[in-house]
Amino acid sequence: MNAQIPRDSRYYRPRRALSWGALIFGILAGLAGGLYWAWQVAPVEETDTAPWQLNAQSRANYVVAIMVNYGYDSDLGAAVSRLLDLRPPGDPVQYVADIACDLARSGYVDSASGERAIRTMMTFYRNQGRAGCADQLIPLFVGPTPTPQSTVFEIPTLPPPPTKTATPPPDPNEQGSTPVRVVPTVAPQGAFDIVRLERFCDADTPGIIVVQVQERDGTPLPGQRVRASWRDGESVFVTGLKPERGRDYADFTMEPGVGYTVDMPGQSDPSQVVTSEICNGPTGQDTYSSYRVVFRPSF
Amino acid sequence: MVRFLLSLVIGLVIGVIVGLYLGWFQFPVEYLDSPIGRLDPQYRDTYTVMIANGYRSDGDALAAIERLRVLGVADVPDFVFQQAERYIANSRDLGEIRALIALSEGLGRTSPQFDSYRQATVPEGG
Repeated sequence: MNAQIPRDSRYYRPRRALSWGALIFGILAGLAGGLYWAWQVAPVEETDTAPWQLNAQSRANYVVAIMVNYGYDSDLGAAVSRLLDLRPPGDPVQYVADIACDLARSGYVDSASGERAIRTMMTFYRNQGRAGCADQLIPLFVGPTPTPQSTVFEIPTLPPPPTKTATPPPDPNEQGSTPVRVVPTVAPQGAFDIVRLERFCDADTPGIIVVQVQERDGTPLPGQRVRASWRDGESVFVTGLKPERGRDYADFTMEPGVGYTVDMPGQSDPSQVVTSEICNGPTGQDTYSSYRVVFRPSF
Repeated sequence: MVRFLLSLVIGLVIGVIVGLYLGWFQFPVEYLDSPIGRLDPQYRDTYTVMIANGYRSDGDALAAIERLRVLGVADVPDFVFQQAERYIANSRDLGEIRALIALSEGLGRTSPQFDSYRQATVPEGG
């Protein structure tokens, strides 16, 4: 009799307590049901919304708050850092110009406070060399509106232009620059050190200083002020204004043959003098040397 | 049949538990287009301080109220007052405390513990 039943027949196998097929089917069905319930029926209540998750109107409100704060303290680095919290699509300063444009076209401008806020936004983005439609809609009347300090922040672009625009005179409150090497006007606090300074030669990026400001573990630090100084002047720029190249990124275009030092005003010692000179790129093509400078906290 | 149903029920329970855990904790719904009233408390604080600094700049209390009202707070002066007291209690940044005190008092709410911070501003102003 036994010879007629195959050895692998289920009649010979011990019966398991559970049906694997039913168990797996149940798990999959339960998983789908649980996810549906968690995502659609009873999703987690929102309590930790970040600025980048705001709707358009709320983002505009947040930008206005950043700008009225900037109107008070003129802290460009803090303003840019807060703008980056909104994860603007592209240039954060241009984002301010675009929002100012939208507000200038809306009823927001009907109130004196609204108009004042838009003017503060205009001052902010125009100081950074940006423009928006608000420029045509609202004259930049500088009456009771507080104006930030008269420092013009140069934000060079890649590829660098063949000529650099004239730079503003040094702040009259600061000491004059020495002929060769500019000493920081604020005593360095040693908060940041230059952990890397290297020369490179690339025809795609000739004659620039690439600056990166990072945490000790390499986490990008946007909104940090960096200064390039040379014999006849200086330029302050901010990290994170080109988020497509990194939140810690900033760059500055050098004039060939001119010596520059780089520092973080009041937070680091100046670098050694760097000079852009003719060099051979990877393809053997003549170009101008560039430099990469990385700042990280000292402690 | 009992074996099949028992397995199905056990599987469903396991699946639902795992599904809820994933949907609520590991991969919760991420909201977009949220109103500013739902900002994380730390950003609400930052927003309020920024508005307070704006008030220090232009002295426009009405504008500050309008800008804070979008947070959905019922009583803006009390909201600012509470934040100022909390910042003092937590020894937050002095500049931020001063901004909140200035706005709170501009909105008509003050406290004896604000006095020392006002006095602290005298040397700087002088």
